[in-house]
Amino acid sequence: MVKSHHPLVRQLLDGELSLSELPPELRAEGDVALRWLAGVDRTPVVLSAAVEELVMAQVRRHARSPARRGWRWLLGPRELDIRLRVRPWVLGAVAAGAAALLVTLPRGVPRGVREVASTHPPVYVRFVLYAPGAGRVAVAGTFNQWDADAGPLAPTHTPGLWTATLPLLPGQHQYVFLVDGQRWVTDPAAPTVDDGFGRRNSVVAVSAQGGGGRAL
Amino acid sequence: MGPGQTRSDGEIVRSVLAGNVEDYAVLVRRYRDRYARYATEMLSSRDAAEDAVQDALVRAYDQLAHCRDPEKFAGWFFLILRNRCFAERRRWHREARSLEEHDEAIAGPERADGAVEVAERRRTIEEALQLLTAEQREVFVLKHVEELSYEEIAVRTGASVASLKMRMHRAYDRLRGELEE
Amino acid sequence: MRAAALALLISAGVAGAIAGQADVKARLAGRLPPAVVGAVQQLVDSAVAKGLPGEPLVEKAIEGSAKRVEPARLLSAVRAVLGRLTDAWTALRAAGVLTPNRDAIETGAFALNAGLSAEQLRTLAAHTQAPHSLAATLRVAATLAALGVPANDAVRLVRDEIAAGRSPGDVLDLPRRVQMGMAGGASAAQAAGFARGTAQAPPEPPRGPPSSQGRPHKP
Repeated sequence: MVKSHHPLVRQLLDGELSLSELPPELRAEGDVALRWLAGVDRTPVVLSAAVEELVMAQVRRHARSPARRGWRWLLGPRELDIRLRVRPWVLGAVAAGAAALLVTLPRGVPRGVREVASTHPPVYVRFVLYAPGAGRVAVAGTFNQWDADAGPLAPTHTPGLWTATLPLLPGQHQYVFLVDGQRWVTDPAAPTVDDGFGRRNSVVAVSAQGGGGRAL
Repeated sequence: MGPGQTRSDGEIVRSVLAGNVEDYAVLVRRYRDRYARYATEMLSSRDAAEDAVQDALVRAYDQLAHCRDPEKFAGWFFLILRNRCFAERRRWHREARSLEEHDEAIAGPERADGAVEVAERRRTIEEALQLLTAEQREVFVLKHVEELSYEEIAVRTGASVASLKMRMHRAYDRLRGELEE
Repeated sequence: MRAAALALLISAGVAGAIAGQADVKARLAGRLPPAVVGAVQQLVDSAVAKGLPGEPLVEKAIEGSAKRVEPARLLSAVRAVLGRLTDAWTALRAAGVLTPNRDAIETGAFALNAGLSAEQLRTLAAHTQAPHSLAATLRVAATLAALGVPANDAVRLVRDEIAAGRSPGDVLDLPRRVQMGMAGGASAAQAAGFARGTAQAPPEPPRGPPSSQGRPHKP
């Protein structure tokens, strides 16, 4: 089923007009449309690290083919010939085991307060807050030493929608949004825990999986 | 080249064409994820997107000598991936496979969706997006997920801004029909 | 030879601890009054001496300073973190984990904060076996509890999924499946039941036009 929007509402969705610039009789239609637009999933997608190995294995095979024999090339230190399509969770079992070995310490031998993880690359996590009317929004949490200046969200083409994508190392992270430098706001789209100060923190738990990772 | 300076795409392309095959891994790392979300949205499946990106990267290597402007490798690679995504969708139609069967939750490093309203709305919109044509879905994804301007989309796809807007407005109307009443 | 190696390890540990001390003062100076910095330092030293990670304590102190919490409350919260780290370590050891790693201890403390009990940590630790990692198991259970799944149900779900031979990836997927169930209108507890293998099928998402529940909120 197709239901036409008013041309001015289309311009609103295109980001060429703001809600307040719409005639009053169109604002309700515009607001509804903006809300579903705000709900679109913009989570970044990170593919597994196996993609690189599989691509390069094929590239090296193609480079060796007779058609390319006229080229000079340097052989890599090791030839990988992965024929199976390896899914990330297969690598994850191996990587998790390897990481556990690296991280396990004998009792009574602390490695100091500030350990830099780890064998796993960071996982990119997208933070989103719908805060119409806000002048600035930031996210502060364990991943940026609770420094709101280090976690500004940027406004998007969708009015009222703020986002930031930050690299998080595996582990559990607590955070809150800071709106206009004053209001601490938990993430309506995340689980929360007691912050120990009478308020709540939002939580995102990141687990290493294979060459990448995932947020729970 | 001093420390901290990275090579441009053009330099790496020329190096690979000169026979330094291993340098191609730099481009693979740079572009493995750059269009992963686009491919995932177009194919409604992270696994299918991974296959498509992988195939496109290999094909780009095979055709590297045909990359007219090595400094614009990104846009050229995007077209290869785009063609691959469209070809995959056409194959689904030929095999009379319902797009709904490919509709899996977009995996990867997702944010946890806790709020009932947010998660429900997201799922409803994803289902509605399935009903768009490939061209409508593409312009919607590039504008509202990848957050490109119409001009940038025109450069990437070769379509005019006017025809992109027409596709987009049809997409809005279709979505409205599904999401309201 | 072994004694020399042990001495080396201990001195490395001490060196690490000393490096850690300078680190704590450097990170908290300017954020908190010197007396509070000193108090946090002592708590960190106490953690490190027990073989516990000190970083969560420093993070809590930094968080308190960012939120402008008054010193007494801040220190109380830092002490509570130390308490949870200690309880987590004790529970994991009681479950037979001889040397709980930093990740497992911190995640155990997180799980306690999310509402799991020490007894439940022991249960999870006792039921976690390769290829599942202890930290990941605890993290999943804690996230489920933070979503509102009753702690008992969260622990039972994770334990049963592992026993059923699910892959680590499947277990990591539990919070998402619970959230999908909640998005369909189920309570957290119900959604946890639906997420349990194929014992109970989750409610089918509507294929036709979205129901009224699915409509964006109208002003």
